[in-house]
Amino acid sequence: MTATKKISLTINGKVCAGKPGQTILEIARANKIDIPTLCYLKGLTPWGGCRLCIVEIEGSPKVVPSCTTPAMDGSKIITDSPRLQGLRKATLELLFSERNHFCPMCPYNKGDCGLQHQGYLHGINNVRYQYLYPAMPVDLTAKYFGIDHNRCILCGRCVRTCDEIEGVHTLDVAYRGIRNRIVVDMLKKFSESETCTSCGACVANCPTGAFFDKAAAFRGPLASCQQVLTTCTECPLGCGLKVFVKENRIVNVWGDPDSPVNRGHLCVKGRYETWAEPRERITQPLLRGKDGKLKPATWDNAIAAIRKAAKDAKKTEKALLVAPRVTNETAQTITKFTGKVDRLAMYVTANEAALCSDPSFSADAMRKLEDADAIIVIGAQPSRDHGVVAARIRTTVRKREAKLLVFHARKSDLDQYATIGAHEVSLDHQFWDQVAAALAGAQRPAIVYGANAMTPIGVTVLERLIKIFEGHPGGQEPALIGLPVGTNSLALAATGIEAIEDVGPWLDAKPLKFLHIVASDAPDGGAGMLEEKYVPGLLDEIPCVVVQAGYRSALTDKAAVVLPATIWCEKSGTITSLEGRRLSLRPVLPVSGEAREDAAILESVFA
Amino acid sequence: MNKTTRKKTTKKTTRPAVKSAAAPAKVRVATMWLSGCSGCHMSFLDLDERLVDLAKLIDILFSPIVDTKVKDMPQVDVGIVEGCVNNTDQEHELRMLRDRCKILIALGDCACTGNIPALRNQFPLKDCLARAYEQAESNRISCIPNDPVVPKLYPKARPLQEVVKVDLHIPGCPPDADVIWYALTELLAGRMPQWNEKNLRYD
Repeated sequence: MTATKKISLTINGKVCAGKPGQTILEIARANKIDIPTLCYLKGLTPWGGCRLCIVEIEGSPKVVPSCTTPAMDGSKIITDSPRLQGLRKATLELLFSERNHFCPMCPYNKGDCGLQHQGYLHGINNVRYQYLYPAMPVDLTAKYFGIDHNRCILCGRCVRTCDEIEGVHTLDVAYRGIRNRIVVDMLKKFSESETCTSCGACVANCPTGAFFDKAAAFRGPLASCQQVLTTCTECPLGCGLKVFVKENRIVNVWGDPDSPVNRGHLCVKGRYETWAEPRERITQPLLRGKDGKLKPATWDNAIAAIRKAAKDAKKTEKALLVAPRVTNETAQTITKFTGKVDRLAMYVTANEAALCSDPSFSADAMRKLEDADAIIVIGAQPSRDHGVVAARIRTTVRKREAKLLVFHARKSDLDQYATIGAHEVSLDHQFWDQVAAALAGAQRPAIVYGANAMTPIGVTVLERLIKIFEGHPGGQEPALIGLPVGTNSLALAATGIEAIEDVGPWLDAKPLKFLHIVASDAPDGGAGMLEEKYVPGLLDEIPCVVVQAGYRSALTDKAAVVLPATIWCEKSGTITSLEGRRLSLRPVLPVSGEAREDAAILESVFA
Repeated sequence: MNKTTRKKTTKKTTRPAVKSAAAPAKVRVATMWLSGCSGCHMSFLDLDERLVDLAKLIDILFSPIVDTKVKDMPQVDVGIVEGCVNNTDQEHELRMLRDRCKILIALGDCACTGNIPALRNQFPLKDCLARAYEQAESNRISCIPNDPVVPKLYPKARPLQEVVKVDLHIPGCPPDADVIWYALTELLAGRMPQWNEKNLRYD
């Protein structure tokens, strides 16, 4: 039989075209014919578990699930009939009666609970079966979300999401029959799980209230919220965010399914840490009084105090230090004021300065990672710093059988999928023969390198790998994907702002009288630099330290003047992702208190 | 058992036919409040000015929200029940109403599914009683009531249809007044209400 390029079938009397291998459901949806589903989710492997998508095929006595049945050329399909209605109703009633689905006290009304919605669509005002009222456990040990097995319909969407999107397969199904339930890491609690990354994708993809976000629980249906699309600024990947806002409060944060970067997926930093984590905001300017305590002040007073201190200092005694997460627009403003200070720099994590010294963007990095048949991670910890990159690596390695080689001093969860996981790089021939053997035949290799690849050992590894690939006849050149840690560090470096790793020597180079630190909305408020030896002491010696920050921290506590800056959900502007995409930030909430945008603050201080 | 109950029902509910077209007999209604929070009755009262129109068509003869004192539950056309069956006394009352009405309506989620009172179904009865009467922080004397006058709790709270035949379920916690109005007016017009995504609510 020759493979046809197109097939045509009749659904409810309408002639529909599709490709061979497509399921009946896919073709029906493409032709705007709706078939009810619960366990089906676009992007996940069809499961065929809920049996709501059943259809009749003319000539067959059986009804078949349309999500798993491949469409046949010329077949006649009926998606709605009294028989199908009756079966679907009975299925839904069985689902309702199996566990404790009490809608009035659902912790998390997603507004479109799949089960409730289907109940309404099918006109179910009564369940004819006896309710089983089973005693089901609730696991609230995860930090940001909980699972209530009472509301679970065993659709398996969380299991497939965990396996196919985040790639960790923490969740699975255990037991049989009526005892069948979702389990974490072979009957562990979430708090004990070693594999769960808290990415929360299971919550977003759960069709009922079984998985719910703690911070969003009892805050009303998401359908009643306003949706704002913006960009995550927690790492340089630039994932698209869909933020649900109600009455000027964030109700939930989901990934933007239309974003080409993350396609709806997020890591724990983007999904939860930015809003579900208690952080103390700075909402008005603070001025250190004569008693040495920070006291609220007006903007005018704060700016006047800063200008006076700046006037007292010579140009050579002034410096400006920037966090690598300010927007491109702020960077433009900063470069305007280069002439007004002696030194200007951004502070980056260890070894990242080398990445910034020759800033290169890795276009289409996420797609290349997905297509790769061999991935080499050098000196980076994507599981910690770039969760969505780690998820993409895991799924490529686990689902597409790509090879993974990890060269990094610290252990991470990626090691378990690696053919070679080297924590100490050896230079002997045997080891490199093994590496070459593992990479033999790789057609589309991708090298993911982080800041630590810029160490002498890392560079040696890179050079040796490139030599291995040069010896490959026919294979593509490896795609080089650089993973900086600072959100916008590459773009800032490209505008000419010097990157420094050690703040201490930089401060100590010449005595300073005036230091302005743009900490922006860094989660730690920029306090990371205080961990460096001598820095706290050096800061104490500077008569006027101005910190503009979104959150209170040990750094703002050291400042003479603290200026309130806007945070991620209040900012506008753009950042440039590691793929070189210029991504927009949109204000989600009104600015809280008297906070101002970074650029506006810099204008009023230096202009 | 069931058969005898049904026979009785048909026999007892035979009433003299309507005498004149000018003054049609009103539909006789009884309402009952079992294990529920009274929210469904409140929602019924939320019919507001529509209650005046309704009063022209129905007579509420027996209800926790009417003042008339009656010795015994009268024969009615429609029985409306809020709440689920939790104890012996409630089952007795429900069976009595079933015997004396033609159409029995389960009003609200408790009557339809068990809802909040049925949350205890996950736990053994003695644990529930101990939690309420022995361990509750507000208890001064810890003693599980054992007077024979006090109705006995069943091991599980049951929705109405697990005890008697129910003719119409109106879900909702509580059902919206508009939904109650829709269901009652349809019944008064001699039709069964039709349910769809517009009038169904489970919460």
